[in-house]
Parts: sequence; C-alpha cells; structure tokens
Amino acid sequence: MKSFVAQSRAEMLRLVRSPFFLLFSVLMPVAFYSIFAVLNGTSVEVGGTTWGTYSLMSMTAFSLIGTAAGQFGIRLSYERKDGLIRLMKLTPLSTGAWASAKIAAHLLVHLIIIAVMFGYSAIAFRTEMSAWLWVASGLWLLVGSIPFLALGILLGMIRNTDAATAIANLVYMGLSVLGGLWMPLSTFPDWMQKVGSMLPSHAYASVSWSIVAGGEVDWLDVPVLLGYGAMFLMIALMLHRRRENA
Amino acid sequence: MGPIVYDQVVKTYGSRAALQGLSLTLPAGKVTALLGPNGAGKTTAISILLGLSKATRGTVRVGEQMAGDRALRERMGAMLQESPVADGLRVREMLQLFRGYYRDPLPLEHLLMISGLEQKAGRRASSLSGGEKRRLAFALAMAGNPDILVLDEPTTGMDVESRMRFWDVLKVYAMQGKTILFTTHYLEEADAVADHIAVIADGQMVAEGTPQSLKSAMPLRKISFRIIGEGFDEQLMLKWPGVREVRRYGEQTELFCEDTDRLLPLVLRSGIPLTDIQIHAARLEDVFQRLTGTHADNGGSNR
Repeated sequence: MKSFVAQSRAEMLRLVRSPFFLLFSVLMPVAFYSIFAVLNGTSVEVGGTTWGTYSLMSMTAFSLIGTAAGQFGIRLSYERKDGLIRLMKLTPLSTGAWASAKIAAHLLVHLIIIAVMFGYSAIAFRTEMSAWLWVASGLWLLVGSIPFLALGILLGMIRNTDAATAIANLVYMGLSVLGGLWMPLSTFPDWMQKVGSMLPSHAYASVSWSIVAGGEVDWLDVPVLLGYGAMFLMIALMLHRRRENA
Repeated sequence: MGPIVYDQVVKTYGSRAALQGLSLTLPAGKVTALLGPNGAGKTTAISILLGLSKATRGTVRVGEQMAGDRALRERMGAMLQESPVADGLRVREMLQLFRGYYRDPLPLEHLLMISGLEQKAGRRASSLSGGEKRRLAFALAMAGNPDILVLDEPTTGMDVESRMRFWDVLKVYAMQGKTILFTTHYLEEADAVADHIAVIADGQMVAEGTPQSLKSAMPLRKISFRIIGEGFDEQLMLKWPGVREVRRYGEQTELFCEDTDRLLPLVLRSGIPLTDIQIHAARLEDVFQRLTGTHADNGGSNR
C-alpha cells in the first residue's frame, strides 16, 4: 500500500510537470472553451441549456479524452521504448501495482482538470447550476474517462514513439471533432452525424450534456462507452500476449 | 545464497538462436565478467537471469530459486544497457521512489554518494548527461541493497573519471561478498576487476576461469627481437623448449611460448645477432581474440 501511494504520487507529479499536460490538457481546452462560449454567446440556448455550460461539458470531455487516451498512450509508448518499463520489471513492484498506480494518478489528475475547467467557467462566465448538477456532471466526466484510459493503453502498445504520438493525437482529435465536441453533431451532414453518434466520445459527452440540461439521459450511451472500453482493453491484452509469447 | 547456474540454456528468436545450450556457473560472492564478441548472446543471457525473457529450453537458477522468481527481485539489482529515467522526477525523487520498492533499502545519502550526484539531487533526472544517467542507473540498481548485482556494459557512456569511481565503488561491494556479474567491451576492466571470467561466443561457453588461468592456458607470452642481417632459422627456433609458434614480419621475429624465463637465455646464447629484445606478457585481449576469433571492439552495443 505504501509503495502504491508513492508510485501514484510519482506518476501524478510526472504527468502534471509535463509541458504537454499544461498545453494540451489545460491551456488548449480553456482557450477553446472561451472561444466557443464567447462566439456563440454564453447565455444563448443550445440543447436545453446554454453555450456556457454546453461547451464546458464538451471541452472538459475534450481535455479528458486527450489526457486519458493521448497523453497516457504516448507516455506508455515512450516508457516502453526508453526501457523504463523494463527497469520497473526488475524491481519487486508488481505489474498490477504499477498499472493501478498509473490509473489512480490519472484519475486524480482528471479530477483536477474538471475542477479547473468548472472553476474557470464559474468565475470567467458566471456559469450557474445547482450544486447537484455540478457534482453529477463532474462525476460523470470523471467516471466516463475510464474507457479512454483503456484506449490510451491500446495506443501505448505502438512501438514506434513517433507513430504513437501522431496516431494518438489524430485519434483523440478525430474522436473529439467527429463526436460533436467542437460543434454539435446537428451541424454536420447526415452521414457524418451517423458516424459521429456511434463514437465513444459522443456517448461520453452526450450524457454530460443531458445532465446539465436537466433532461433525460440516454442510458444506452453508458453500455456503448463501456463496450468501447472493454474492446480497447481486450485488443491491448491480446497484443500484449502475442508479444510476450514471441 | 548459492551460485548462479545456467544449465543447457537455449534461447531462440524465430529461427535465430541467441543461446545454443549455454552452461555456466557463476560462483557466489565473486565478481564474474561475461565476455564475448557482439551477438555472442551476453545480453540474452542476462535478460533470462533477470527474468526479462524466458529460456526456450534449459534453466537458470540462483541457488535454489529459478530466474524470474518474484522473491529474487528483492535480492537482485541490475543495470541494463539503456539508462532510462522517469521524466518529470528529480534525481532525489527517483531514488526515493526506487528505495520504496524494497524492504531494506540503502539510505538515500548513500545512494547519492555512490552516484556522485549529491550536487544534482534536485535536478530533473531527464536533464542529466549520458554519463550521469549511467551513474544514476547504478544507484537505482543498488537501491534495494542487493546481494546480487547484474551489470550489462555498466561503463559504456561513462567518462574516465566516472568509470574509475564506478569500479572503486564496485570493489567495495565485491569485498562485502556480493555476487557480481558484468559484461564489458573493455577487456582491461575484466582483467583488473573480475575474479572469474566466462567467455561466450555464438551462444555457447568457450572458456572460463580466473584471468590468470585463462592467460596461462595459452602460449601467448612472447619474446620479440630484430635480427641483424642473416641468421633467421625457423626450424632451429621451433626446437627451443616451449616455443609454439614463430612469426616473422620483416626484420621482426616473434616467438610465442609458455615460459619466457626459460626461453630467454637460449635466445641470447644462440649466437644469432639480435637487437631490440622485448618480452611480452599475455594480454586478456589476445586470449579473447584466440578464443572467439574476433577483435574486442571498444564501444558499440549489442542486444
């Protein structure tokens, strides 16, 4: 337990101290949130709520997808290439403890991102919601980010770190844009709406939009998201087994 | 704590065999150098011992325990060829983190001292130079106060001063009775530091013994001289006791033998007009070259 806490703390420090974290997980989502909110008008109605809160959900989801899938994946790919993972295997720390510490560290950082984004929104745009909605949407964004960590594990299997970086960025940006996090799906042509509505990013954001709009949550989104997460993890495990036996 | 025993170890990667029935015993409490040309299988042999890869056939044991046992990791420290650092962590933080993995770690101050990074404890580990990262890697290997130290080309990438400091520290651990295994491209290091040397080539053992016994097992001492004018007689020289081989390069003649002390008076009394007489001791480099048919190359890495 002691080494789990120490490991989680170290992993958290490493993540937060990375310049990529500040840029891609904090500054970029804050900037895009500000742009979308201001351009559309923070109090203009959209999807049963206002742009100020709608975009807050989208951009927090965007940040968390980037952190969970993109940065986690790229980091894992580098750790494999640099030999850090090999070095860890020499120590008495179990693989299970190592992996769960990494995930725990990520979830804590995700929570910080949510707090920063929500705090920024409340202060800069005077976003108002009932305490319950703040908590519920925040909790959902946190829990819903877990399947994207599975995607990060899968992306982290890519051996070539340059390829991993390029693919991870493409995947998380693609998921965010096509999933309707930048512009609502309704502004897309029909076929893109169909594709977009099937993406995990859309299922993820969609639940949070429904929560803040106080409307009906489409509960089907939850198994969709879970299914994607399970699939990513299974593919990653399969690849891992095949490599172990090679 | 028992010896490290490789028993008929075979490791194949696809159709390529990295180890072809390697059998080798590394005595407990001694410093063993594992030597061999590039691609001989040194790194593969080490990976299996460390549990990083599995033998296709055969076993590697440390005393009663099988290589790869979780319990062994508590007692083993290793330095691999690459020296990865956890980016974002300071030197002190990384050492502390590793100390936390072991039940009975060495004190932080001690680890900083052996790495020589006392002044840089607050620096980000990723900002260290290549040689400093090697020294940090050594301190990380020592973090758990291991009984067994496994070092794959530990001094590659270190400058002369770091290298000297490294061997000084290692000698102290050797005196404490730790079992140490290292590979190196610098044969003079093996000669100076190792109690025991194992030479492997093509995934098999070619020779093992003390540096002394390896050197004396081969007629590698030589007497060289120049002959003024005529007088070279290969048949006569081969009849001198102990002479195994006669080589001639222009005026220069070399006699390879086992015992230069006995040969020298005969050479002097032979009546052949000689000048520039020199006696050469056997070098490990020559032994290595004879055994493996290759030159030891300095630097470079293999896996």
